[in-house]
Amino acid sequence: MKKVWKFLTSMKLAIALLIILAAACAGASFINQGQSYDFYAQMYSERAAALILALSLDDAFHSWWFIAINAFLCLNLLGCNLIRLPQLIRRTKAEKTPDPKTLISAGTREEGISDPKKVFESLHFTSPAEGSFEGKKTLSASKNRIGYWGAWVTHLGILLLIIGFSLGQMTHQEYTVYGVPGQTKMIEGTDLAVTIDDFRIGLREDDTVEQYTADITVQDLSVPDGARESTEISVNHPGKLFGMSFYQNSTGWAAKVGIKKSGNDLQNDVICAGEYVPVRDLPELVVFFNAFYPDYVLVPGVGPQTQSGQLNNPAYLYSLYYQGEILGMNVLMPDEKITVSDYEITFSEPQPYTLIQVKKDSFQSLAFLGGILTMIGLILSFYLLPEKILAVEEEDGTFTVYGHSPKGGALFKERLKKAVLAGKDGSQQ
Amino acid sequence: MLQVENTLFTIVMIIYFVSMILYFIFIAAKKETFSKIAVYLHLGALVLHTAALVCRGIGAGRLPLTNQYEFATSFAWGLSLVSLIFIWKFKFPVLGAFAAPVIFLIIGYAAMQSKEVKELMPALRSNWLGFHVSTAIISYGAFGVSFVLGIIFLLRDRMKEESFWGQHTPAKEKLDMISYRAVALGLLFLTFTIITGAIWAERAWGSYWSWDPKETWSLVTWIIYAIYLHLRIRRGWEGKAAATFAVIGFVCVIFTYIGVNTFLPGLHSYK
Repeated sequence: MKKVWKFLTSMKLAIALLIILAAACAGASFINQGQSYDFYAQMYSERAAALILALSLDDAFHSWWFIAINAFLCLNLLGCNLIRLPQLIRRTKAEKTPDPKTLISAGTREEGISDPKKVFESLHFTSPAEGSFEGKKTLSASKNRIGYWGAWVTHLGILLLIIGFSLGQMTHQEYTVYGVPGQTKMIEGTDLAVTIDDFRIGLREDDTVEQYTADITVQDLSVPDGARESTEISVNHPGKLFGMSFYQNSTGWAAKVGIKKSGNDLQNDVICAGEYVPVRDLPELVVFFNAFYPDYVLVPGVGPQTQSGQLNNPAYLYSLYYQGEILGMNVLMPDEKITVSDYEITFSEPQPYTLIQVKKDSFQSLAFLGGILTMIGLILSFYLLPEKILAVEEEDGTFTVYGHSPKGGALFKERLKKAVLAGKDGSQQ
Repeated sequence: MLQVENTLFTIVMIIYFVSMILYFIFIAAKKETFSKIAVYLHLGALVLHTAALVCRGIGAGRLPLTNQYEFATSFAWGLSLVSLIFIWKFKFPVLGAFAAPVIFLIIGYAAMQSKEVKELMPALRSNWLGFHVSTAIISYGAFGVSFVLGIIFLLRDRMKEESFWGQHTPAKEKLDMISYRAVALGLLFLTFTIITGAIWAERAWGSYWSWDPKETWSLVTWIIYAIYLHLRIRRGWEGKAAATFAVIGFVCVIFTYIGVNTFLPGLHSYK
C-alpha cells in the first residue's frame, strides 16, 4: 500500500501523466470531435472509423480514458501537496534564521569581507540577525521564504481548476431559448419562462454587425404570480437572473407562415428558420421553413445566396411534407403562395430572432479560483526566490559570507559575488 | 494614420534587417563595435515598431491585436522587447544575433498577411481582448527568447571556453539559468493568457473552455513547459537537455500560433 501511495504521489508519475495528457490533447485536436461513423469512414477509412469510435476518440475530451488521466493527475497533485505541506511549514518556520551548518555545507562561499552589512544591503536583506556559530560571531538573514510555497499553491490551483471544471461538466445545466420579440418560451426542465421583450441588431455604416442586444424578462412560474426579473443582454455582456446566466448567443431569421383553407384564414404562426409547422386540421401536411435570404440571388452552380443582410429582395426556402414524404421544395417570394389542394400557404414579415443560451454552472467560481491560485503560485515560484545568507566573522576580523538560493542558481551566485565586491569596496572607502 | 503605420512598418523591417546583418558581422568579425550599433538599431526599431502599433491602433480605433497581421507584428514586437531586455540585463549582445532572424522571420510573415482593417465582430469587442492577446505576445516573446538561448547553449556547448563564443556568451550555467528565467516568464504569461481567455470566452460564448483547437494547443504548450520545469527538478535536466527542450517547446508555440490557425480552424480562426 505504501508503495502504491508513493508511486501515486511521485513526480515520476506526474511527468508521465503530463506527457500522456499533452499527447492525448494534441492527438484529439486532429480528429473532428462529435462526428458519426460515416463521417470518419469517409474521412479516413472504415477500419479507422471503427477504431475511433471504439477508443472514444470521437469524444476524446469526455472519454473514460481522458477522465482517468485527469483523475490520476488530481490524485497525484493532492498526494504531492499533502506530503509536502508539513515539510513546507517546517521549512518556512525554520529558515527564518538560516541554519549555519546547512548554509556552510551547501552555500556559495565568499571570503575576506570587511563590511558584511553592505553585502546584506546590496542583496536587499533587511535587518540581519546577530548570532554565533562555533564560538564565532555571525550575521544571518533570509528572504522570500514564501517562495517555497509557489509550487504548492500552483498545484492546489491546478487541482481546484480540474475539479471545478470536471464537476461543472457533470452538473451544469444548459438550455437554449430562441424567438422573436413578444414571444414567451419556457426554459425546458425548469419553471422559468423567458419573454423576449426586444431584440436589436446594431449595424455600422458598412453594414457589418456591431452588436446583438436582447431585452428579456424571466418569470418563475412555480409560484402564483411568480416573480419577474428583467435585464438587457448582449454579446460579451451576459445577464444573471434567478441564479442562471443568460447569454446572447446567436441570431437567425424568423417569418410568419400564414395558412388559408378555401380562402379563409386557418392559422398564422411565427417560426424560425429550421423549424416547421403542421397544418392545424391536416397535421400530416407539414410546412418546413428551411432558410431565409434577405437579399436573394440565385448563383448558378451554387444555389440560393444572399448578397447582404438588408431586406432588399427577401426570399424563403421552404419544403412541404405529407405523411413524412416530401412533396416539394422551392424558393418563395413574398408575393407568391404555395397551393396544396384547398390550402394556400404564404410567408411574410421576416424578422431576426435571437438565440439565448441559458446556463448554470455552480462550480465555475471554483475553477476560476483555481486559475487565480495557479497564477499566484507561479508568481511565487518564479519571482520570489528564497535566498539566505550567513556572514561568519573569522579570526582576522574579516567575514566569510555563505549564500544559498535553491532556485537562484548561477544568477544568485553572480549577484552574491557583485554584492561581496560592494562589501569589499565599501570597506576600502 | 494607417498610411503612417504602413510606412513605419516598412522602415521597421529594414532596420531590423540591418540590425540583424550587424549582429552577424559582430559574430563574423568578432568586433564589439558592430554589436553596439546593432543593439542601438534594435532599440530604434523597437521604438518605431511601437509607434507603428500605436498608429495602427489609432487608425483602426481599437487595439491592434485582432487578426493574423496584427498578432504577427505584435508577436515580433514582443520578441524584440523581451530579447532586448535580456540583452541589456545580462550584457549579452550575442543573443541579438540569434533573436534578430526570428524577429525578422515573424515580421516577414506579418508582411505577407492582409493589412486590411476590418471592423470587429461583436464577440471580439471586449476589454478582455487586450489582456488576453497582450499577455500572449509577452509569453510567445519569452518562449522565443528561451528558444534562441537554447540554440546558443547548444552551440556554445561545442565551442572551447577561450573561443569567441566562450568570451562573448555567459557561462553555460548562467546561460541555462537565463533560459530557465525566459521559460518561467513565458509560462507565467501563458497562464495569464489562458485564464484571461477563459474569462472572456465565458462572457462571449457562455463557456470558459470548449476544447477549441487553439485552447487545446495552448494547453499542450503549457503542459510541455510544465514538463520542462518538472524534469529540471526531478532528473536535473539542466544544460543541454533543457536547451533542447526549450527549442522543441518553441516549435509547439509556433504550431499553436500558425499551425492551429492553418490546419485546425476553430473559434480563433476569424476567417
